[in-house]
Amino acid sequence: MSATRRLPWLLLPAGLFVLGIYAWPTLLLLRNAFNEVGPTGAMVEAMSLKTATETFADGFTFELTWNSLWLSATATTIALALSYPLSLFLFRTTSRWRGILAVIAILPMLISGVVRVFGWLAILGDRGLVNGLLQSLGLISAPLKLVFNWTGVTIGLAESIMPYMILALLAGFGQLDRTLEEASRSLGASPARTFLRVTLPLSLPAIVLAAGLGFVLSMSAYITPKLLGGGRVFVLATEIFEQATTNTNWPVAAVLALYTLALLLVLLALSNLLARRLRR
Amino acid sequence: MSYLELAGLQKRFGNATAVDDVSLSVAKGEAVALLGPSGCGKTTTLRMLAGLIEPDRGTIRIDGAEITRLPAHRRNMGYVFQSYALFPHLSVARNVAFGLEERGRPKAEIARQVEEALALVRLSGLDARRPRELSGGQQQRVALARALVIHPSVLLLDESLSNLDAKLRDAMRHEIRSIQRALGITTLFVTHDQVEALTMCDRIAVMHRGRIAQIGAPEEIYEKPATRFVAEFVGRANALPAERGPDGQVRLWNETLALAAPADGSFDVFVRPQRMRIVPVSEPAGPDTARVSGRVLRSVFVGDHVEVLIEGAGGQLTVEMPSGSPAPAEGSEVAVVWPATESRVFAREAP
Amino acid sequence: MNGAGPLLSTLAGIVYALILAPIVVVFALAFSADNFILFPPSGYSLRWFQALGHHGPLLASLWLSVQVASVVTLCSLLVGVPAALALAKGEFRGKDALTGFFLAPLLLPTLITGLALLLFFTPLRLTATLPGLVLGHMTVTVPFVIRMMTTALANLPHDIEAAAATLGATPWRVVRRVTLPLAAPGLIACACLSFLLSFDETVISLFISGPRASTLPVEMVRYVEGRTDPLIAALSVVLIIATLIVVVAVERLVGVARAVGK
Repeated sequence: MSATRRLPWLLLPAGLFVLGIYAWPTLLLLRNAFNEVGPTGAMVEAMSLKTATETFADGFTFELTWNSLWLSATATTIALALSYPLSLFLFRTTSRWRGILAVIAILPMLISGVVRVFGWLAILGDRGLVNGLLQSLGLISAPLKLVFNWTGVTIGLAESIMPYMILALLAGFGQLDRTLEEASRSLGASPARTFLRVTLPLSLPAIVLAAGLGFVLSMSAYITPKLLGGGRVFVLATEIFEQATTNTNWPVAAVLALYTLALLLVLLALSNLLARRLRR
Repeated sequence: MSYLELAGLQKRFGNATAVDDVSLSVAKGEAVALLGPSGCGKTTTLRMLAGLIEPDRGTIRIDGAEITRLPAHRRNMGYVFQSYALFPHLSVARNVAFGLEERGRPKAEIARQVEEALALVRLSGLDARRPRELSGGQQQRVALARALVIHPSVLLLDESLSNLDAKLRDAMRHEIRSIQRALGITTLFVTHDQVEALTMCDRIAVMHRGRIAQIGAPEEIYEKPATRFVAEFVGRANALPAERGPDGQVRLWNETLALAAPADGSFDVFVRPQRMRIVPVSEPAGPDTARVSGRVLRSVFVGDHVEVLIEGAGGQLTVEMPSGSPAPAEGSEVAVVWPATESRVFAREAP
Repeated sequence: MNGAGPLLSTLAGIVYALILAPIVVVFALAFSADNFILFPPSGYSLRWFQALGHHGPLLASLWLSVQVASVVTLCSLLVGVPAALALAKGEFRGKDALTGFFLAPLLLPTLITGLALLLFFTPLRLTATLPGLVLGHMTVTVPFVIRMMTTALANLPHDIEAAAATLGATPWRVVRRVTLPLAAPGLIACACLSFLLSFDETVISLFISGPRASTLPVEMVRYVEGRTDPLIAALSVVLIIATLIVVVAVERLVGVARAVGK
């Protein structure tokens, strides 16, 4: 009707906002990647690939990439191993607490990241829960180094991406039909065989999508590597922030940011492609 | 003199044609059913009438005035939705009052009219309830009262009884029909249920693939289906493959029927099973009687009647006998007879 | 087979323990009497809560965060809800493409958005200002509001708005009398979550905060970077409880309303 055709005017404020405060700054970011940094460290307006070529010639960029990918891969693997049974439990449980259990599972998502990082410091720190427990049991004499290194960052990151992965898994489990598992059991398959032959293959697309999401979130996480890494863990995200703020080297920050974004988009595209393949 | 006039209505959604070409005249106070299977375009037609969908082509006139492009809120159509679409956040009284409030009527008048409308649908005293506190049948009545209270030009009912259970549906059918008659309100009724169409309406328009296949009084539709589709969709019928004999008569199961066959093409003879009778093979056929013979395959008791399946030279057919009469033994050879005028001949559809 | 089975339930229990561990530990630590993070604490006290009450920078940033989150919530609803209305109810060409355009900001990590905003705001002198922080947070909340409300509006009971139109309500009256009242619980839940999103937003704030104006998460990051004492635990307890109240409110609202709506 004519009224529903006039509705697009309502998009105007949001459209102006997204263009002005989102699209335009993103274009500025792109533009900055072509600027140069002078010998004094001041930014020079330019239209060259000098900053990009220098950044990619630097061995440190390669190291950061490798660090980011490795960290994301391990954190995603741990998070997936923990999220999958929890999601399957939530999908299957007939408990009347199911709603509350689901809220608890995604609760960390709603609680400030800084608070959770602080919790991990208290658990993993030199005098934290784990070391205190192990020492009082006499299992170790000196505290284990669990934070301000890769171990701590990996644990904290895995926990922070879990709620998102649980949501993705639960959404993907939609195609898991309970009667299929019952059919498998009635045909003589044991619960374990049923899981391997029916449940797991059917949930594979959900697993791929959840893993892709977790990986992307890990790659772009800043707070956890920064605080739990204690300045000893260098990844693309921490370097982008350092370059942009401490060093005020915007061109390099822009190049690294676009590079990270490109990596993320490739990874997302790959996981979506794989999930679509598996679904057929 | 026609009151509501649809001319050449067409609506396409993407590549699919929902309504191809619908023309229909309805007299003032008349109740007309749009009967058809799902996807035949009947609901789309109704929504175009209400102004909820804009037609691609064609015109809609009421009392001579064209309303084709008028927005829904200026059409004054009483629409009863299949889901009832009652406002869950408003009480029953406010639901019924909604249309009058939008028309800016004085408060006292609204209160009086709402009360009358609720009394009409026998819901007096439930005005403070919320829709969710009502049974399905009561919700249906609220929806009806809400549509009637605005004194609509036309009452539009979209599959309005399909969400009720069978007993309630029977009761509501008669109730709606008597309200419609008492108020003399022009009504258009969309349904896929032939009993609903046959019992509630003055005329039936059978729709098929976005067009009206036949329009007429219920008896006419049932007794003289104009197309093969109407014969199949309304009531039940034996579709018996037949041939053209050398004398130009229909040949069915190796017997000649006193019925002219079409000049060319393959065709079927349609006969309603309850118009057929089973007689002993020895009984000869009368002058205006069609007759075939076969063997009883089985009889099935269906409560108010018995279905007897008979196999003969040209295939199978079903005869409906009133229950209580002795059914022929399975395997026995019998003859099936019916008045020749009960046969209708339709060309076979290309598969 | 009904329910989850003992093996799966046990596994889920272990995972729940891991998820809740940091939160439980923070609670225990908040009541510590020690000067540093020691677990288990050697004694319990309320001294860190008292210290929190006298910590100027944290209190100032808390107040700023509340201000920013309130303005962000209001502005996001004003900008986002009309857009959601258009995307959910409108019939116009290119609607799917436009929906994609409005939800695109949800795809970009805040790390990238934060950097882009830093580059954009610095020459405009908007960094470390209330308007700057509000606009920055809105890059997250506006798409969120549009997504949540588009779904909420599209899921309203079938045909209910058409019914209002056939009864004579003009399109704007339909929105006012039917669409918005029915969407109200979703709208309130959406406002609560927008507030939380803005209040907890850390990365964008880190990019565009400064000494003149920093939000609570930024101040907390700075504090944790410098020192490790239970003060942040005490603050965390306050924040977690506040968050839980909002979460329960949202759950009740949308949950209860869903039961009521039918």
